[in-house]
Amino acid sequence: MTDIQLKVKDLQKTYHPGLFEASVEVLKGLSFEVVRGEIFGFLGANGAGKTTTIKAITELIYPDAGEITICGLPHTALEAKRRLGFMTESPYIYPHLTGREFLRFSGELLRLDRDDLEARISVVLEEVGMDDRADRTMGTYSKGMLQRVALAQALLGDPELLILDEPMSGLDPLGRRDVRDIILGRAAAGVTVFFSSHVIPDVEMICDRVAIIVDGTARAIGTVAELVSEEATSYEATFVGAVPADLETPLQAHHVASGASWVRVATAQRDDLIQELGDRGARVVSLNPVRTTLEDLLMKHYEGLES
Amino acid sequence: MRAVRAIAANTLREAIRDRILYLFVGFAVVMVVSTKLFGMLTVGDETKIVKDIGLASMQFFSMLIAVMMSMILISREVDNRTVFNILAKPVRRWQFILGKYLGLVSIVAANLILITVVLMLMVLIVAGELDFMLLFAGMMTMLEMLVLAAFATFFAVLTRPILGSLMTLAVFVVGHLSADLWLLTRQLPGALTRMVVAVVYYLLPNLERFNFRTAVVHDLPIPGAAVAWAFVYAGAFVTVVLYLANLRFVGKDLK
Amino acid sequence: MKQRLLKISIVALILSVAVVSEIQLGRIPEEDPLGRELLYLPSPEMLKIMSLGNPGLAADILYLWSIQYYSLFKPHERFLYLETIYNLITDLDPLYVDAYRIGALIMQIQTGGDQQELKGAVRRLFEKGLRNLPENWGLAEAAAWDFFIRFRDRETAIYFAEMAVRHPEAPARIKRMVGVWRDKASAWSLEDSIAYWRRAVEDAEDEWDRTMCMNQLYDAVAARDRERLEPLLKTFAGRYGFCPSSWEDVVRAGALREVPRDAFGDPYGIGTETCGLVAFKKFKDQ
Repeated sequence: MTDIQLKVKDLQKTYHPGLFEASVEVLKGLSFEVVRGEIFGFLGANGAGKTTTIKAITELIYPDAGEITICGLPHTALEAKRRLGFMTESPYIYPHLTGREFLRFSGELLRLDRDDLEARISVVLEEVGMDDRADRTMGTYSKGMLQRVALAQALLGDPELLILDEPMSGLDPLGRRDVRDIILGRAAAGVTVFFSSHVIPDVEMICDRVAIIVDGTARAIGTVAELVSEEATSYEATFVGAVPADLETPLQAHHVASGASWVRVATAQRDDLIQELGDRGARVVSLNPVRTTLEDLLMKHYEGLES
Repeated sequence: MRAVRAIAANTLREAIRDRILYLFVGFAVVMVVSTKLFGMLTVGDETKIVKDIGLASMQFFSMLIAVMMSMILISREVDNRTVFNILAKPVRRWQFILGKYLGLVSIVAANLILITVVLMLMVLIVAGELDFMLLFAGMMTMLEMLVLAAFATFFAVLTRPILGSLMTLAVFVVGHLSADLWLLTRQLPGALTRMVVAVVYYLLPNLERFNFRTAVVHDLPIPGAAVAWAFVYAGAFVTVVLYLANLRFVGKDLK
Repeated sequence: MKQRLLKISIVALILSVAVVSEIQLGRIPEEDPLGRELLYLPSPEMLKIMSLGNPGLAADILYLWSIQYYSLFKPHERFLYLETIYNLITDLDPLYVDAYRIGALIMQIQTGGDQQELKGAVRRLFEKGLRNLPENWGLAEAAAWDFFIRFRDRETAIYFAEMAVRHPEAPARIKRMVGVWRDKASAWSLEDSIAYWRRAVEDAEDEWDRTMCMNQLYDAVAARDRERLEPLLKTFAGRYGFCPSSWEDVVRAGALREVPRDAFGDPYGIGTETCGLVAFKKFKDQ
């Protein structure tokens, strides 16, 4: 069980905004576990409770109920916080400080050894590609540069657990690639990464496991392959010619374009479709299983929520 | 303690790099220097006028800096969420409050020292002598500011920026009025009224206890006990108010 | 660049409109400027509260204002509310010596009105000052002189002079003076006063003290000159049927060799209403 780097159990949180506003129940018994060395994706729409969960983990808010442990320690322990690297959703920075000064300040707060603090700062600055701009005040930085510095301060203390809230937002494609490489590099070195995002491809691309959070609870947790294969339920066929008007197999979708047709059917109807098309002499060009994407999965959970 | 020091140092650095501080400090210095002009208007003792205006400016601008800078340095830190970076690190909330308080206090102190030196120079020019009692008056003003800064920190951590500043200002005003109100209401009939006033009087700081300006200007003897108790009084208030700030800040959700 | 210049010009133009309107507003005569502002003086309690712990500063501001305000008035105009103002100032800062000393001097500038009432007000101000500053023999000395010279009230003058003498640090000249006043006031001549204040000027401990003593010396010299010169005016008026408008007229009539000058070397004037000598005393830093 020591392999569990982050454990969140039955987390509940209700906000009470003011005297005359209704309370908002944001977290409704959220539970998950993150294992050492994995990249754990935390996927959900805006407002699903992702940031609230992260704030609870980092002790910026206090949950009403539930338990959080970091590296086997209660999350409020200073030692737990020392092992944690955290990057906020938007980079909240001091415009009057230079990037290097900000990291120095962070290093002091992390109680890093003063003797090699400067060296460490230089290393992380280089890692995030900010070494040449570190001595400008942060008020002059672009959003992407701020994200990089914010990532640098999260990496500064050589954390065992990295908590990244939307680390890719505001970055250009090059920046996204850089950040992705940094995350992958740290993970390869044994760092556990907790990665929150509402951007599905980002999560699909790098996460070992994913939690889908909807309305304050984790609806599904597993590897991307597990979540997706479980849900793969349709097939797509392409054939030459128009869709026959008397086709009996129910179609989920179809499209006709320049002499070729595309249709989608449920898995159960796959054999019926092949049979029928064969009977009519249509030349089938391709037949592919449709793998459900995380997006479909997410949409499905939301549709379930609405109905 | 390292976190406290780092937070205080960062607060101080932020203030030093903010133009608005220089505006206040500049005004204060101009005010003290211009006391010479006011002195020239009088028939009689110029030194008294220089000291009166100088000491009043010292108090007023220190108060203004405490009130305004608490908004800029503390409320904004919470409001702009830069505090997230601090509190997600191995830093306790009381360390944040203490660090912010010490940062604020050191800015006020730096300004007070500057004004005191300028005022002593002005008095040297006008009266031809160094009046070291001005240092004493400066020190007692600093005591007042220590109490006020504690309140400023308290409000800054717990309310919105402008509201916090207004409330600190209110403490300053009431702190100077409370002794008079206390005197006035003691003549009121009814034990209950008197009790309510007494409670209010003792719960809010009586900032007049740190006012030795008249004594300094007129070279009156200053009882040692008044100074000693003023230190104890300030210390007690600072501790209580910062403790309350911490009590409220721990457990506060930062959104 | 050009546009910026234009914007600045527009701002300057609008600003100058504001300045011009203020000047125009200032030209409209106000109904009753005399003393009206004084009606709005708050109570000392209120002012003390409003000063937020700086009553000394409030006293300074009022004091400076009173000096500037009253320096604009002519001596025959009634100095309304002066007692109230100096009372207020000395309530705010009871140890403010200048407010008693100069306050009394300013009150004495008033030559018209009920002089008996004025005398009472000056006495009350000095009494208050000496109650709050019992160590200040200089203030008592000043009071004694104001009453001896200005109000010709020997009794009150001796009362204050004895107060001064009681203080161990008071100079010996006051004791001698009290002796003469008490035993044989008529023997005390204006020449004695002049000699007294000459010595006081020499004994003065600081600039301010010297200025105040110079001031007394000036008054003594003026009093002597008044005694000597006013009969000339009476004679002139008797002969020609009108009061001379300047001392040059008297010189031309052959009654004087040159225009008489005061202790500071400035020429005296003539008050045509009373047909008497006018001394334009100024507080001079010697």
